[in-house]
Amino acid sequence: MHNLMRPGRPLGALAALVVLAALVGALSSPPAARSQAADVLLNVLATGAKKLNIVIPNFTLVAGTDPAGLGKSLPLVTARDLTFSSLFSVVTEVPPIAAGDPAALRAAFGNFAAAGAHAGLHGLLTLRGDRAEVEMRLHDLTSPEFRLIGSKKVEMPTNQARRLAHKIADEVVMQFTGELGIADTKMAYVGVVSGHKELHMMDYDGANPTRVTSNNSINLSPVWSPDTRSLAFTSYMRGYPYLYRMFPFENRPVQVLAGFLGINTTPAFSPDGRTVALTLSRDGNPEVYLLTLATGAFRRLTTYAGIDTEPTWSPTGREIAFVSERAGGAHVFVMDAEGANVRRVTQSGFNTQPRWSPKGDTIAFTSRQGNFDLWAVSPDGSNLRRLTAGPGNNEGASWAPNARHLVFQSNRSGNYQLYTMLADGSEQQPLPRGAGESTSASWSPRLP
Amino acid sequence: MAHRWGSAQLLAIPVLALSLFLVGCPKRPATTAASAPAPTGTPAPSSPAPSSPSTPSMTPAPAAPATAAPATPPRPSEFAENANLKDVYFDFDKYDIRANDAKILDTNAAWLKTNDNLVLIEGHCDERGTNEYNLALGERRAKSTMNYLVSQGVQASRITIISYGKERPVCTEHTEDCWARNRRSHFLTKSR
Repeated sequence: MHNLMRPGRPLGALAALVVLAALVGALSSPPAARSQAADVLLNVLATGAKKLNIVIPNFTLVAGTDPAGLGKSLPLVTARDLTFSSLFSVVTEVPPIAAGDPAALRAAFGNFAAAGAHAGLHGLLTLRGDRAEVEMRLHDLTSPEFRLIGSKKVEMPTNQARRLAHKIADEVVMQFTGELGIADTKMAYVGVVSGHKELHMMDYDGANPTRVTSNNSINLSPVWSPDTRSLAFTSYMRGYPYLYRMFPFENRPVQVLAGFLGINTTPAFSPDGRTVALTLSRDGNPEVYLLTLATGAFRRLTTYAGIDTEPTWSPTGREIAFVSERAGGAHVFVMDAEGANVRRVTQSGFNTQPRWSPKGDTIAFTSRQGNFDLWAVSPDGSNLRRLTAGPGNNEGASWAPNARHLVFQSNRSGNYQLYTMLADGSEQQPLPRGAGESTSASWSPRLP
Repeated sequence: MAHRWGSAQLLAIPVLALSLFLVGCPKRPATTAASAPAPTGTPAPSSPAPSSPSTPSMTPAPAAPATAAPATPPRPSEFAENANLKDVYFDFDKYDIRANDAKILDTNAAWLKTNDNLVLIEGHCDERGTNEYNLALGERRAKSTMNYLVSQGVQASRITIISYGKERPVCTEHTEDCWARNRRSHFLTKSR
């Protein structure tokens, strides 16, 4: 039997991050409250393994009938989510384990434990009416008795079964790291349809692509509201570039957020969802403004007579990074959310599209030094590092809500398509190709 | 059966096949086209909560240069090409009017002063900026062009500007020649 735990192998950078996160989480709560799964992960990583090896047998049908084969297909979606997280090495397509039969469970998991599995997910599937429920039972396969370290019931309508699989994956990640995974999220993006840029959305893994505008004009820069109910975007649907808000999951008309002369662009919701930062040129040149949604009041933040644009919020809601040409070229600056205390972040290159990470410690941005590439920097300007180095142009980054992944656009394959990568630039991989160019992705918060 | 634990090797099926058991989405997104009145010069944006119209409250801005257009500009589609007004071009990442382009604008201004049309100035960029920044740069190019015409005696109230950033290029080759052709202000006119 293989044992691929390799003592002495140095921790991967990401594994180290997870260990750190788990330790921080552990130190901030009494030992009794720390999940047993986190202990398993810490112990596994301490041996030098880079990932946690988990086996997910097909789910065990305990009630109802399963004509669609969800017991086989859901574990595959969950497995793909866990693999994407870069924390797990997953084995699937294993026969289901009988429910309520400890001997069968020991026998089934025993082989995998011997082969190096650290954890096993036993899913009990109930299909009742139009609802699907999985009782997910997580076992520590490094313990002699394969002790149960966590269990939870997750339920969705059967016609959203894929979301059920995503939620299971997010719970598994939650068990091991203390923070929910990001599999139950969506991407909004711009796709070209019959020569027009229209807004689209899809699941974070590319499933369920759906067009959400059909106005035959130019639609740009979609961004999700924190409550995931709306998308703000710029559109030329009425001829001029106005800023709009649409509600893709509700039957509500599109709202105009800003329709001033000039440009109404680059929307960014504040973390509390109450304010939209944006660019307006109504006063004579592009400046950063704040729009209070409840009152419709605008407040101007910048005053420099040249271009100020592309605001992005710190997760505290107290600071905003933006792009300005006040120092020549284009550079990233940070200011208070009232517009004061402006300080410069980037020093060289032509730098645009700043995106403040949800964890607050990093600003990703696009730098043009020949081609476009993605870079990252701390908000105080330190720790500047490059995330992509071609091929082609790499731009338009958006953070996953746990700040571990980014989605971006790249024309490395010929035309622009969407890719994901880890926050250190590794594991760059394509999302499914659109019919036309796909650009300007916005990664949603976790769906409610 | 021997299962190997490779690094992130997965026995799963590719995503396209996974979509087989996907059964539809949450409620189908509404694609209702906006059916609001025509845009006004300084509209108050609609907002969900208050019943009384809100006036924008903002910190006072420095005096703006030549104010733009009629209160309700015609839609861009109402303007037409006009061979009498030539395009002007810009340096990379710049929006100032160069000497030779000023001469072209002088000619355009002369025509406009003897033909009482409304004019729409489009500002455009080449592909070498990111999309959002280029919307601002195109806006600055259109504005510089407008300011020059106004300085030559064309009434500001006749002029509307619009930025297209890099969204409406005249060519798509990745060459200096094509890039230079895209960095432009373009003129359209409409009779009053």
